[in-house]
Amino acid sequence: MKTRVPFREGLFEEITGEVSLVGARCRKCRQVIFPNRDTCLNCMGEDLEPIHLSRRGTLYSYTIVHMPSEHFDPPYAVGWIELPEGLRIFSQLRGWQEQPLTTGMDMTLHFEKLWAEEEKEVFGYVFRPSTNGGA
Amino acid sequence: MRDVAIIGAGSTVFGKFPETLTYQLGAEAGRAAVKDSGIDPREIQFAYCANLYGGMVIGQAVMGETGVTDIELTNIENACAGGAAALTKGWWDIASGRYDLGIIVGVESMTTSPIAGKLIPPAKGDITGELGMNMVARFALSQRRYMDTFGVSLEQIARVSVKNHRHGCLNPYSQYRKELTVEEILNSRPICEPITLLQCCPATDGAAAVILASADLARRYTRKPVFIAASVLKSGDYAFRWEDITFSDMTYKCASSAYEMAGIGPGDINVCELHDAFAMNELQHYVELGFCKRGEEVRLLEDGVTQLGGKLPVNPSGGLLSKGHPVSASGVAQIAELVWQLRGQGNGRQVAGAKVALAHVVGGEVTGLESGAVGVNILKN
Repeated sequence: MKTRVPFREGLFEEITGEVSLVGARCRKCRQVIFPNRDTCLNCMGEDLEPIHLSRRGTLYSYTIVHMPSEHFDPPYAVGWIELPEGLRIFSQLRGWQEQPLTTGMDMTLHFEKLWAEEEKEVFGYVFRPSTNGGA
Repeated sequence: MRDVAIIGAGSTVFGKFPETLTYQLGAEAGRAAVKDSGIDPREIQFAYCANLYGGMVIGQAVMGETGVTDIELTNIENACAGGAAALTKGWWDIASGRYDLGIIVGVESMTTSPIAGKLIPPAKGDITGELGMNMVARFALSQRRYMDTFGVSLEQIARVSVKNHRHGCLNPYSQYRKELTVEEILNSRPICEPITLLQCCPATDGAAAVILASADLARRYTRKPVFIAASVLKSGDYAFRWEDITFSDMTYKCASSAYEMAGIGPGDINVCELHDAFAMNELQHYVELGFCKRGEEVRLLEDGVTQLGGKLPVNPSGGLLSKGHPVSASGVAQIAELVWQLRGQGNGRQVAGAKVALAHVVGGEVTGLESGAVGVNILKN
């Protein structure tokens, strides 16, 4: 059995069975940033509150890639998800073979295997088209 | 600040030259620029060499073969904007009074690079890069949004590639000298949807170089110096401040600064070489560079304003789409092309009466920022 590891530490956390992306909101200028940091990149303020970002957003744009990348075989889909907090998250998109992607559609956050290496399975966030009633 | 002139320009032919080493390409361009200027290379006081994939102190290898040693020499990496960055640094070295004579080289061998045959990824460990981002996907995302929110069609976008390939047929330095049809472009294989192969610039090997001199010194070597009226380089701002991925804030801001520095406006530009890495880029850059209002860019293309013979020819060299895109060389190659245009040496692709020219390149991808770097340079007679 392969060890399951997050693709990058600190981007998401699991609390009571639900995994969320961890960003931060600046208490001074209200800017929301992702990933979480100690200093606000907008105003350089140091009073930030870690927040769990919304698990649903809309598809701001997408592309299906037909050449390999370091970790993914073609075809694979990536896109920008616009979250209600007012920021865009770049993500792998899944489920597009079953439900064609369209700009503006509702998308839901999932945590899944991204790729496998010799000894480990790397997991992280992906977005899938929202099903009726939400995921 | 002192006026800075360009007194020599040189370039290799662009193409695929896997047997030629990076430094050999650079030296061919360097020697051509030195010869064009009429100076003795031993007079050169400083050099900048832009390169991404060539390795350690590639500029020293290039300059060694050009006859330029024992000087202040700096290697520059700024992705596709590396050549423009090198020019800005060289301009400042003379404008500030520190030096009187320098050489700027941009060189890249994509066929021998570690990413040959691949889509250019961000630097290793970059978050979006790990998740599958590359330079084509980056602009495919912009194009998808552009088509869906502004109603621009693939046929309209493909016409940029048709135009620039037609221009490339007239340029002996161009990698491709073949006309393309809209159908050929749209039927070529998908790379990152909706971008197909022939909406992309090719992988290219090549180099270009220019010789910079103070205005006083320039008049000793040429009766037709071309002056640098503005030279501006900017890094990208945080992406959370970037409202709309179909409009490059950094290109807009960089161009605005350049117009202010030159004391002119977009209406004064007679010829332009801009960053058409993907066909769609050119339409968006018309707006950001101030050539038209938003929503008028397709008409600018379709009315023939930006083709050779139009009021504002864009990418008469063939642009990155047809001439090719040896990453760090492109920013310098644009300057060489515009120097030839302003001297009236454009031959079959000459823009009649060109007196003011603008060059624009943008490049690099990094998580959290709009992009890596953008450079805008304005040249005049």
